[in-house]
Amino acid sequence: MTFGGLVARTILSKKARSAGLVAAVAIAVLTVVTLAVTSSGLESSAAQIISVGKADFTVVQKGVSDTLSSTIDEQEVARIEATPGVASTVGVLVATERINADNPVFIEIGIPPSKLAAFGVTILRGTAFAPDATNQVMLGWRAAANLNLKVGDKFKANGAVNTVTGIYSTGNAFGDAAAMFPLPAVQGYNRVPGIVTLVFVKVAPGASSATVAARVDHDMPELTTIRTASQFGRADRNLIYLKAAVNGSTVLAVLIGAVIVGNTMLLSLFERTREFGLLRAVGWTRRRTVGMLVGESLILGFVGAVVGVGLSFLVTAVIERLPALRGILHAQYSASAFWRALLTALAMILIGSAYPVARAALLSPLEALSHE
Amino acid sequence: MSDTARTSTSDPAGVPALDPTSGAPSVVLEEVTRVYPGKVVALAGVTLTIEPGTFVAVTGPSGCGKTTLLHLVAGIDTPTTGRVLVGGTDLATLHDPSRYRRDQVGLVFQLHQLLPRLSARANVELPMFGTGRSSGERRHRADELLALVDLAGREDRLPVQLSGGERQRVAIARALANSPHLLLADEPTGSLDSVATNRVLDMFREVQQHGATVIMVTHEHDVAARSDRVVEMCDGRVVGETAV
Ligand SMILES: Nc1ncnc2c1ncn2[C@@H]1O[C@H](COP(=O)(O)OP(=O)(O)O)[C@@H](O)[C@H]1O
Ligand SMILES: [Mg+2]
Repeated sequence: MTFGGLVARTILSKKARSAGLVAAVAIAVLTVVTLAVTSSGLESSAAQIISVGKADFTVVQKGVSDTLSSTIDEQEVARIEATPGVASTVGVLVATERINADNPVFIEIGIPPSKLAAFGVTILRGTAFAPDATNQVMLGWRAAANLNLKVGDKFKANGAVNTVTGIYSTGNAFGDAAAMFPLPAVQGYNRVPGIVTLVFVKVAPGASSATVAARVDHDMPELTTIRTASQFGRADRNLIYLKAAVNGSTVLAVLIGAVIVGNTMLLSLFERTREFGLLRAVGWTRRRTVGMLVGESLILGFVGAVVGVGLSFLVTAVIERLPALRGILHAQYSASAFWRALLTALAMILIGSAYPVARAALLSPLEALSHE
Repeated sequence: MSDTARTSTSDPAGVPALDPTSGAPSVVLEEVTRVYPGKVVALAGVTLTIEPGTFVAVTGPSGCGKTTLLHLVAGIDTPTTGRVLVGGTDLATLHDPSRYRRDQVGLVFQLHQLLPRLSARANVELPMFGTGRSSGERRHRADELLALVDLAGREDRLPVQLSGGERQRVAIARALANSPHLLLADEPTGSLDSVATNRVLDMFREVQQHGATVIMVTHEHDVAARSDRVVEMCDGRVVGETAV
């Protein structure tokens, strides 16, 4: 019999206990992975908004709780435009509106039609809207497909029954699932004349976007610049809180799991005290005896991690379909989610087994053998 | 190989793999006391020299300290005062007594102490972990030893599927796993009928003849009489000696 075979035999002969340990690890891994994939899905779909305009960097109001509540006025846009090194800017107003159950937070972007081409919006079919139209709209191709609309159809949104003048593509899933209106129309409906949410900035040829962004940051302390999606998280306070909550819950889940693992292992150790004494008496070293105990837990921990990831797939699939969250929550599975699962399981096993292992190592073979 | 082992049960020369070239150790106890918590005096000063390669029986009434003495020689327990020397080495100086047990000692417990979830074969393999034998070699050796104790064909049985005598023989096979130079047996015939008792005693004799010191604890006088020397204990002391 191999050492692994011996470990496997023990695991299989203590089915209830093994299942308990697997369940503890699986539930913790389920919690941690589900939180991670759903929150990173939220973060990245929120961050996509800044990559809609093909800009060198994006400017938002500093310290807002959520990027969409950023407000920048026309004078500020003019100052950004006047900053040395800035080639061009476009201020866009981003609003959300409930269209139907499948589109509970439909994105509406107000943008001057003259700026469309410069910021990477390609019109696939039809034409752009007129600059001052109050009932014209362009749909991203994904939005058009979802809503089953084509050029010439009517689309009720932004307080009007709009005619679809064109279908566009931005090459960005988020932008392509949105609609674009003339900027004044969105400002008017949302009662924020002269206000935009984001300013996309292109720098002059030869200028460094980092340097120009730093200049804007310096000159306009009430604003902040974002050059990459990962910088986005720093500007959006809701995301910062979300990350903190996810990290806190992860630590809690690991600790609770570790306590259950430790408890299960301790019970197993008491139950098998004689066995450990016997193994020491027939010449097993402390190390080998402890190795067997840890080996059992690591195998069960690994099985728990696999089960937990599987359950997480199921749970996120259900969550994504909940009416309240449909269209908002997109789980984003990545390799890091699986590493997180393995690390969670490993951390639980290592924390949980510390005390039982110390107990096992200190067990005297004589006492263990006389244990009832 | 297992064929040789099977026929060897009636042939003393067939005990497998006991290396006759390396010596059986002497066992010396010097003024050994063992006081358990609660002031229970299990050994009250035992001085005893066991010559290398002898088959010694330790007898005495229940509670007189026989098991305690055996545990001290096995390095499972340590004396309160005094010294235990095996092959001239004070066991208190051993860095790792579990290695000493693995490499030198075969232990047969008063209660046979098999792991219930493991087959007879796997139980016999246990002391061989960490000895450098491959799992195939462990298995082969275990089957050989089980054949030696007349359990060929029962290798895969769990302890609950064996009789008391069979379990005791599995425990003896396990004690012989690493070809010990020191065999320590605590009431090994306690649960056996006279035929099985004879078989076990023959086996201990074979082990001794192949270069081992054998110490057997028993309270049965006719069993003790099958050894070379009987050490009689009472109330934690050696009270008499009989050369057989
Ligand atoms: N772990 C222990 N703790 C306390 N007392 C013990 C322990 N082991 C044995 N004893 C006591 O030591 C004495 C000798 O025990 P033992 O060596 O088992 O005797 P024997 O094997 O001759 O029957 C007995 O009185 C027994 O109750
Ligand atoms: Mg006893």
